[in-house]
Amino acid sequence: MDSEWNRYEVFEKERVDLPHRNAGSVHAPDAEMALENARDLFVRRPNCLSLWVIPEHAIFAKTAQELQDDSWRDQEVPHNADSEIYLVFQKQGQIARETYVAHVGQVEASSPQAAMRAALETFAAKNVFVWWVVPERLVLKSEAQDAPSMFAPAHAKKYRMHAYYPVEPIMRELKSAQGMLESDG
Amino acid sequence: MTNLSLVFKILALADDELILGHRNSEWAGHAPILEEDIAFANLALDELGHAQLWYALYQEFTDTEPDYLVFFRGAADYRNAQFVELPKGDWAFSMLRQYLFDTYESIALPQLVKSSNARIAEIAAKIRPEEMYHLRHTSNWVKRLGLGTAESHRRMQNALDELWAYALQLFVPLSDEQELIDAKVMPDPRVLQAEWESQVVAHLSASGLIVPATREPIATSRTQHTEYLTALLAEMQEVARGEVYGVEW
Repeated sequence: MDSEWNRYEVFEKERVDLPHRNAGSVHAPDAEMALENARDLFVRRPNCLSLWVIPEHAIFAKTAQELQDDSWRDQEVPHNADSEIYLVFQKQGQIARETYVAHVGQVEASSPQAAMRAALETFAAKNVFVWWVVPERLVLKSEAQDAPSMFAPAHAKKYRMHAYYPVEPIMRELKSAQGMLESDG
Repeated sequence: MTNLSLVFKILALADDELILGHRNSEWAGHAPILEEDIAFANLALDELGHAQLWYALYQEFTDTEPDYLVFFRGAADYRNAQFVELPKGDWAFSMLRQYLFDTYESIALPQLVKSSNARIAEIAAKIRPEEMYHLRHTSNWVKRLGLGTAESHRRMQNALDELWAYALQLFVPLSDEQELIDAKVMPDPRVLQAEWESQVVAHLSASGLIVPATREPIATSRTQHTEYLTALLAEMQEVARGEVYGVEW
């Protein structure tokens, strides 16, 4: 039996003026537990306003390089499929710099391929090197009423970097008092 | 109302949080999956943080430092329920214990927020949101383990059979607690127990588990402990006791 849980991509909104951005991924038995794992792994520190989790299998992704090959456009399902909302994500900028897959908007389409086509037209921009489209119904979002218990407690916690604890000077002092410190000279 | 009855109650609240937090911290690095290792360690840290708040209040009444209480008290002077000192057992045991405790806290805290003692109300208000999240997380786990595989179900049922009578000790009033109830400082534990039983029985049954019939707590006095507390304290206090009390770090 495969004991590996499914992977979920985690999207975090840190400020009102920032989009949901990819924070990393978690493994979980289902979306609800994925949302909780995402909170516990990524939101111990402020600020988080909202979290989304997306099952890996729901993501239709293309790199700029892959888009140069048009064959994916032919894999479309028949047109009688119901159309639905797809969320569109992009990774923009220069590959060498820190950058995120971030939510840019949504399109309506009847297949991932059609959604990708619509996304390419609607959200065309320079320097996009990764595109994702995801049916919105497969995205589990935290709700506004979750914020007080999921996100607010992080604000009351103190986070200290290791440098906060002056361990090294104290150790030197103790050692020197005991004559254990070797001369630096 | 004497301050003494209040002071004893605060110590009981603090010790429950500390010992449960410490027990859960034993899972760090050993939980069945990485994500849950971190989640459970977070939970343990939260309980230690809650203990700190109650110890700080205890200090306001008695001028006893929390570090002294935690690291230099013997088992006989601890006032936690035996429920929280039992060894961590398997994953089902620890998860179920945390769930039973979280449900108890989620029922007690909204009452404590209304305490006639302003400091208690203030601390309860601080703890409450975090406990809402704990309960969400542990009740989800209980459901998944209870309804999961034959093995996870068996382990959960064993854990419930073992823990149930211990959990009931959480609702045994301390000797002078009636004074606190009359003065609306503390909620009546019998009222909390009725609400707790109705909630946990419903959730455990929905999770495919059979709740034991007993309504008798296995222990009634918080001055009596199992041998497990002595071993826990020996480990927890070892480093602090290696130096005389009050040494500067």
